[in-house]
Amino acid sequence: MRRLRALFVRLGGFFYKDSGENEFADEMESHLQLHIEDNLRAGMSPAQARREAIMKLGGVEQTKENYRERRGLPILETTFEDCRYAFRLLSRNPGFTLVAVVTLALGIGGNTAVFTVMNSVLLQNLPLPHPEQLMFLRLPNDQPLGASNTGDGDTSFSYPVFEELRKERAAFSDLMAYVPLAIGKVPVRIGELPEEAAADMVSGNFFSGLGAAFARGRGFTLEDETAHAALAVLSYSYWTGRFARDPSILGQTIYVKGLPFTIIGVTARGFYGIEPGVSTDFWIPLQNRPELNAWGNSASNSTLYGTPTWWCLRLIGRLAPGVSDPQALRTVEPAFQQAALIGLGALDNKSQKPVLALASAKGIQGVRDQYDQPIRILMAMVGLVLVIACANVAMLIVARNSARQREFSMRVALGAGPGRLFRQLLAESLLLVTTGAALGWMFAIFASSALAAWSSLDVPFSLDSNVLLFTLLISLACAVVFGIVPLRSAATVSAGSALKTSNAAAQPNKTTSWAGKLVVAVQMALCLILLVGAGLLVRSLRNYENLPLGLRTDGLLVFGASPLTTHSDDEKAKFYRILLDRLRVVPGVESATLMDNRLGSGWSSNGIFAIDGIEPTGSFSEIGMRANDVGPDYLHTLGIHILQGRDLLDSDSRTAPKVVIVNETFAKRFFPRGDALGHTAGGVKPEQRFTIVGVAADSKYTGVDEKPRPMLYFSFWQRSSVSDMQVELHTAGNPEALLPNVRAALHEIDPNLPMQKPMTQRAQFDESFSQPRLFARLAMFFGLLAALLVATGLYGTLAYRVSRRTSEIGLRMALGAQRSEVLCMVLRESLLISVAGIVVGVPLAIAGAQLVRSMLFGVTPGDPISYLGALLGVTLVALVASAIPARRAASVDPIVALRYE
Amino acid sequence: MKNSAQRDLFPGALEMMILRTLKRQPLHGYALVQHIKRTSDDLLQIEEGSLYPALQRLLKEELVKAEWGISSTNRRVRIYKLTAAGAKHLERQVSSFEKMLEGITRVLARGES
Repeated sequence: MRRLRALFVRLGGFFYKDSGENEFADEMESHLQLHIEDNLRAGMSPAQARREAIMKLGGVEQTKENYRERRGLPILETTFEDCRYAFRLLSRNPGFTLVAVVTLALGIGGNTAVFTVMNSVLLQNLPLPHPEQLMFLRLPNDQPLGASNTGDGDTSFSYPVFEELRKERAAFSDLMAYVPLAIGKVPVRIGELPEEAAADMVSGNFFSGLGAAFARGRGFTLEDETAHAALAVLSYSYWTGRFARDPSILGQTIYVKGLPFTIIGVTARGFYGIEPGVSTDFWIPLQNRPELNAWGNSASNSTLYGTPTWWCLRLIGRLAPGVSDPQALRTVEPAFQQAALIGLGALDNKSQKPVLALASAKGIQGVRDQYDQPIRILMAMVGLVLVIACANVAMLIVARNSARQREFSMRVALGAGPGRLFRQLLAESLLLVTTGAALGWMFAIFASSALAAWSSLDVPFSLDSNVLLFTLLISLACAVVFGIVPLRSAATVSAGSALKTSNAAAQPNKTTSWAGKLVVAVQMALCLILLVGAGLLVRSLRNYENLPLGLRTDGLLVFGASPLTTHSDDEKAKFYRILLDRLRVVPGVESATLMDNRLGSGWSSNGIFAIDGIEPTGSFSEIGMRANDVGPDYLHTLGIHILQGRDLLDSDSRTAPKVVIVNETFAKRFFPRGDALGHTAGGVKPEQRFTIVGVAADSKYTGVDEKPRPMLYFSFWQRSSVSDMQVELHTAGNPEALLPNVRAALHEIDPNLPMQKPMTQRAQFDESFSQPRLFARLAMFFGLLAALLVATGLYGTLAYRVSRRTSEIGLRMALGAQRSEVLCMVLRESLLISVAGIVVGVPLAIAGAQLVRSMLFGVTPGDPISYLGALLGVTLVALVASAIPARRAASVDPIVALRYE
Repeated sequence: MKNSAQRDLFPGALEMMILRTLKRQPLHGYALVQHIKRTSDDLLQIEEGSLYPALQRLLKEELVKAEWGISSTNRRVRIYKLTAAGAKHLERQVSSFEKMLEGITRVLARGES
C-alpha cells in the first residue's frame, strides 16, 4: 500500500510538470519511511511506528503548503491557485453559475443603462473640457426698459455688454456670444435643392473658448468675427446626415439665405452646440448684414448688429481658473452696469436696474422636464430588479455554500486555515461578479442605446463607469458577505464532529431557513409591485391603442408637399389644385385631400372664432376652438362621418362663397337645438364669416389622447393665406405599396418636389403615444424579469429544502404519508411564502401606483384588473417554481431516502 | 501544537544549526533531525514540519545544495550539502550569535549580582 502510494507519487511526476512539488513529496515520503524504520527498530508495532512518525512530521499537507509558500511569489501564486480552483468548482456546477451570472448581468447592466441615460439627461454637463467652468449669463430681472429684445428677456444681452464683459479676463477666461439665425431653422442651399437647417451666429472665440474639438478643419478666430467672414463650421451630425461625411467637405459652399459661406470645419462627434434641447447644424461668425440679422428679425434701425439697444446675444462664459461664480459676478458687476446703459441713457427707475446672474451649463436643458419623471420611475423599477437580483444571488450562494458545509469541514480537517477558506470563497464570489459584470456591460451598451432611441435624444451616451462601479460594488459586497456566511459555522465547528455529521443531518439551522423564506417573500412583494406597475402601464397602452379615432385607421397615406418656387397665395392654391388632380388619378388612390396641420403630429391651430359675428365669452378652456385648413373631400377621404350637411367640395374654391364644417362638439355646444347649418363661424366682420355647411362626427386631431374640442374645418382655398399643406391619400390596399407611384406623380409636377415624411396615418397617430408605448414595454420587461428572477429564487429555495429533507420525506412516506400529502406539503410552503409576499406587497403596490398616476391613461391607480393580473402572475410564479421540487419530493423512494442516512 | 523548544528558538537559529550540522558532513533531512536531537542531548526538539521549509529557504539562498542519493538503509533520499556561500554565512552568523550570547550572558550575570 505504501509502496503503491510512493509509486503513484512518482508516476505522477511523469505527467505533472511541477517537478519541484513531486520532489518534495518524494522527500517527505522517504523521511517518513526512515522515521518508521527507526521506530520499528526501537521496538514499536508497525502501526504505532507509522503513527508516531506521522505525528512527528506534522501535517504533511500543511508542510507542503508551507513549502509552496516559500517558493515564487506566494500571494500571487495562491491567488491564481484560488481562482483556478474557483473556476473549476463553478464550471462543475454550470446551472448555478449560469443563473448567478445572468442574474448579476441583468441587474448590473440594467442599472448601468438606466443610470447612464438619467445621468446625461438630468445631471451631465456639456461634452466639453471642464464643463463645470461654463456658465450661462442670465438676466433674472429681465432686460432694461428701452431695449429692443427678442422675447427672451432673461437670456439675451446687447453688443456693448458683450464687448465690455469679454474684457473682464479676471472673471471669465473667455466669454462667448451666440445667437440663432432664425426662430427654428434658416433656409439654406447646398447644391441645387433649397432646404432648412438650424444655425447660430457666434463670436470668434466661440469654439476656442468652449474648448470644442474638431473632426475636420478649424473653428473661427477673432479676425473672422470682426471681418464678419463668410465662413461656416458644420456639426458632426449635420456633416454625417446631410453630407454623408464627405471627406472633401472643407472648402465647399453652403448658401445661407442665398449668401455663400465657405465650410472651414466640422466639430468633433458629440458636440451639438449649446442651444438648449436643440442640435445646431452649423455656425457662422457674427454677421452685420441685414439679411442675416439675429433671430431672422427684419432689420429695422433698432435691431441690427452693433445697435446698442438690440439685446439679442446669448452669452456663455468660461470662469477663469480658480474663480467661483459669485467672485466672477462681483468682478464684472461694475462693467456690466455701465455697459447696460449704453444707448439707453440713465434709468429713472432704480427698480429696473438690470441684474446679472450665472447659471451652470448643466444637463440637457429643456429635455430635463420632459423625461425627468419617467426616468425616475424607470430608475425605481431597475432598482427593485437589482434588489431582487442581488437577493437571488445571495440566496444562491448561501444555499450552495451551506450545502458545502461538509466540504469546508473536510478542508479544515485537512489543514486549511480559515484564511485559506476565506480566500477561496472570496475568489469564487469575485469570479461570479466579474463575469456577471462583463456580461452586464454588454447588456448595458445595448440597453442604453435602446433607451436613448426611445427618448429620441440626439446625444451619444457613453456608459457611465461610475454607475457601473457602484452597481458592481453593491453586487460584490452582496456576493462576498453572503459568500462567507457559511464560513463562520465551518470555521468554528470542530473538524471531527463535522466529519461525523451525515449529509442529511447537516441541516441549516432554523434561522437560516427562515431568513431564506423571508427573502423570497420580500422578493415576491417587490415582484408584485413591478407587476402591478407593468399591468397599469400596459393597460394604459391598450387604451391608447384602442381609442376610437373617429376616422378610418387603415389605407391612409400622409406626406407633406410644399411648392418650391411659388410663393403667392394664388400660385400656391393653383399648385395644390394641380397636385390634387394629378394624385387622384394615380392607380390605387381612391380619394385625396389636403390639410394644414398633419393629424396625429401634435400640431394644431387654436383660437376663438366668432359665431354669427359674435365672439363667445368664457375662459379658453371652455370655449377654445381648434381649426384646420383642409382640402376638398376631407371627411370622405378620412372616413369621418357626416352627421348633417355635406363634405367640402372642389367647388368651395377661392372665389366661391366661404364655407366651414364644424364637429359635433362644436354644434352641441353652440347650437344645442341642432340647427347649426346655415349659421356662420369665423371672424367678427361680415366678410370674415364662413357659413356652416356640415356637421362632422368628432375625430382625433393632435393625438390619440386628446379630449374632444369644438373644431372647425375651413376650405384652405378660402383662407386669407395658403399654408404649406400635407397630402392625405385614401388607398385601396397597403398605402406604402403606393409610394413609388405617388413619387412618380410628384416628379411629373416638379422634379425637385420632395415627399416630406411620408407615412401611414396610423403610424403618425402611433407616434403620438410612442413614449407611453416604450414605457409600457419597458415596465413589462422589468415585470417579467422580476417574475423570472423570483421564480428562480423560489425554485432554488424550495429545491434546496426538498433535497435537504429527502430523508425526512422518506421517513414520512415509510410511515404511511401519501404522495399527494407530500406534494401538498411542498406546495403549501411555497404558497405560504407567496401569501406573505402578497400581504406585504399589495399595500406597497398601492402606494407605488400613485407615483405612476400621471403616466396612466384611462386607468386609475387602483385598477382592479391590473392587481388581479399581478396576483395571478405571482401565484403562477409560485406554482411554476414549486412544481419541480414538489414532484421531486413526491417521487422520493422511501427506501433510497432512508439509506441516505 | 508547537513545542516549547521551537517557540523559544530565535529566528535563524534553526538555519544556523542546519548549516553547522551540514558543515560536518552532508546529510539527508531525517538524519539532520536525528543529529541535532542527538548532539543537543535531546534538549532541542526540531519540529520536523518546520525543517523542510527551512531547508527550502536555504536552498533558495544557495547556502546549501541538494542532490538525490541512497541512504545507508538503501532508500532514495535527498542529501543536503553546505555550499561555500553557506559556510561563509554560517561563520558570520555564528560570530554575531556569539556576540549576542555574550551580551545576554553579561546582562544575566549583572542581574544576578
